[in-house]
Amino acid sequence: MLTLEGCSYRYAGAAGASLHDVSLTLRDGEVLGVVGRSEAGKSTLCLVASGLAPRTLGGTLGGRVLIDGADTAGRAMHEMASEVAIGFQNPGTQLSGVATTVYEEVAFGPMNLGISRDEVLRRTDASIDALAIRALSQRDPERISGGQQQLVAIAGLLALAPRHVILDEPTAQLDPAGTRLVSDAIERLAAGGASILIVEQKVDLLAGICHRVLAVDEGRITLEGAAAAVLGDPTLHALGVAEPSAVRLRRLGSEAGLSEQAIEGALALATSRVNDA
Amino acid sequence: MPELNLEGLVYVYREGGVRAVDGVDLRIAAGERLAIIGQNGSGKSTLVRHLNGLLRPTDGRVLVDGVDATRMTVAQLAHEVGLVFQDPDRQIFAGSVLAEVEYGPRNLGLRGRELRSAVETALAAVGLEPEARTNPYDLGASRRKLLALASVLAMGTAVLVLDEPTTGQDERGVERVRAVIGDAHTAGRTVIAISHDMRFVAEGFERIVVMRAGRIVLDGSPEQVFRQDSWSTLESTFLEPSLPAVIGERLGLGSTPTDASLIQALARTSA
Amino acid sequence: MLGGIIGPVGLVLMAVVLPALAAGVLRGLVRTSVLLTLPIAISALLVNLFFFPGGQQVLLRVGPITATAEGLEFALEILVRIMAISGAITLFYLTTRPQDLVVDLERRGVSARVAFVANASVQTVPAMVERAQQIAAAQRARGLDTEGSVLRRVRGILPIVGPVILGSISEVEERTLALEARGFTRPGSRTLLWWPPDSSSQRITRWGLILALVALVGARVAGRLG
Repeated sequence: MLTLEGCSYRYAGAAGASLHDVSLTLRDGEVLGVVGRSEAGKSTLCLVASGLAPRTLGGTLGGRVLIDGADTAGRAMHEMASEVAIGFQNPGTQLSGVATTVYEEVAFGPMNLGISRDEVLRRTDASIDALAIRALSQRDPERISGGQQQLVAIAGLLALAPRHVILDEPTAQLDPAGTRLVSDAIERLAAGGASILIVEQKVDLLAGICHRVLAVDEGRITLEGAAAAVLGDPTLHALGVAEPSAVRLRRLGSEAGLSEQAIEGALALATSRVNDA
Repeated sequence: MPELNLEGLVYVYREGGVRAVDGVDLRIAAGERLAIIGQNGSGKSTLVRHLNGLLRPTDGRVLVDGVDATRMTVAQLAHEVGLVFQDPDRQIFAGSVLAEVEYGPRNLGLRGRELRSAVETALAAVGLEPEARTNPYDLGASRRKLLALASVLAMGTAVLVLDEPTTGQDERGVERVRAVIGDAHTAGRTVIAISHDMRFVAEGFERIVVMRAGRIVLDGSPEQVFRQDSWSTLESTFLEPSLPAVIGERLGLGSTPTDASLIQALARTSA
Repeated sequence: MLGGIIGPVGLVLMAVVLPALAAGVLRGLVRTSVLLTLPIAISALLVNLFFFPGGQQVLLRVGPITATAEGLEFALEILVRIMAISGAITLFYLTTRPQDLVVDLERRGVSARVAFVANASVQTVPAMVERAQQIAAAQRARGLDTEGSVLRRVRGILPIVGPVILGSISEVEERTLALEARGFTRPGSRTLLWWPPDSSSQRITRWGLILALVALVGARVAGRLG
């Protein structure tokens, strides 16, 4: 369980704080979505939860970050790495740059942890299978598509055997095939019981996998609750967040005077994808 | 207002001999609003770079207003065709938003009042006037993307080409881009956008061109491109029709590429 | 006359040509070595051929200058020595993968961070070149004239160099975050999955070469070799 208790954070050299008194809990096996406009503080929240802020970034942190109730304040970054793994939106800059094959790339994290060689191999194999990228194992990580690189990056995070995974807009820079690849993988991880905190602009994606959702605005949490409730909240638009497609169609439908029956009947056909027809 | 013509365009990359564009014929009338969609590697970016001369055809011709583009330098073509790239950080170099937006029009020879006016209009269009003196890197990634858009808008070109204008944008940013494109279209400019946001494309463009492996595989209105018998072609390019199109066809309502058209069709049937 | 060069030639054959043949890089080696040393070789040859002091046996007369046999002999000796050095260096370069070298160093105790920097540096140049190309394209699309006068093109440097540097710096920040999030800062050594195998015959050969070097230097100093 990962908890933020009254966290405030100010970047080094910044005039004001980017996060104000933020409290949240990511329970084991839960998928927590985070929405908000850009520059609202979502990425800062991820950096604080992962420990990179303030350890690597400097800056000032107020409040506490707890793992299973224990304050993480004294822990070094590498100790945090095996508890909370974080992925970013740019697939290319997450690569280590020193691996010649995807296998080596995924193994990079565990190799840093000082565990036995057998354990490194075991974890690497498990992550590669979890993300279904066995076929890419011998490829050069710099030469695969963005979506594939993102899968490799996520596999690299899983190989650390973290208790919690944070994903900051994993599909933002991907094309539709890449988005499909990565969102399917995340769905599988979620279904498998992983604890995931995921920031996304693609609310439809979140609607499909999240148990709960938070909305962040100007460094504060302004909405919090069950995914369906938060994503269906009409005030989301004012926060600069898109409506999920289903919500939008319901709204447009009722504005046009359509019966609820007609709308729900139409939406029922939206759940399966084209290829399933 | 120039008409753009691509005739039998072929482009082969020197390294690897990849045929990025493999025989494309495309006529874009003045003032058209066109979206080009397709997977990464389908040739869309390579194609549009021929419109302002950054790339020259390996075979075939590119005509801008009837004149062969190879007769003009990139700097000359920049007067007619403005191209906004996907990554604003591979362009922004000035210390202030104002200076960044001034760069393009200044290169085209604008000065004094004309220059100021072009810059102010562009900044207003993307909502960045309050940040005129801000350092671009103090803006978030989303607003830097809008800055890049403004910097090309200010050039006042008759043709505007946008490479993935909504990727990485939040909802506000997408709304801004929609508004900018709408205004440009109303003013008579030709707008060409590369995008993989199906909703953005279905709602904002009169014509959609689908590319796969360097060729055009579909070319028509959103109704035509998202119609059921186009689905297998779309699928072969790993694209999916917009959600309302899927629902509409499944309900037997015909082609309803946008939310609005779907709701209208539903309203008609229940009336 | 050619007695003086038998030694160096033999050395080159044994230490450079035969291993290159065994490793299958002989053709590349010859091409690279020759290319590298050609300028020096030509000048050394000409200077010594014609201007060797004390040259008696005349081979050729070109106007006021004379080519002598002693000069030729000396020139060839120098040439072979140059070949030996350049050949050895090229052989090393052609048969060693940088990553293998770095991993081996790390195995033997070089810090993981130093090893990382050595490995990662290889990637930086092509990445920067690609970035610069993309930036140049974006600026040209905004009217930057790269096809005009020299003065114009010089003025165009900042809009290209600026983003290359800024972008590289911001990329370094992103990369650092990702690396640290993967435990990179843990002190101590990391678990290596593989390193180049070191058989006893390789070890014997290494020590043998070192001893041979000591012996040769000693013999030279003691005046045994000419």
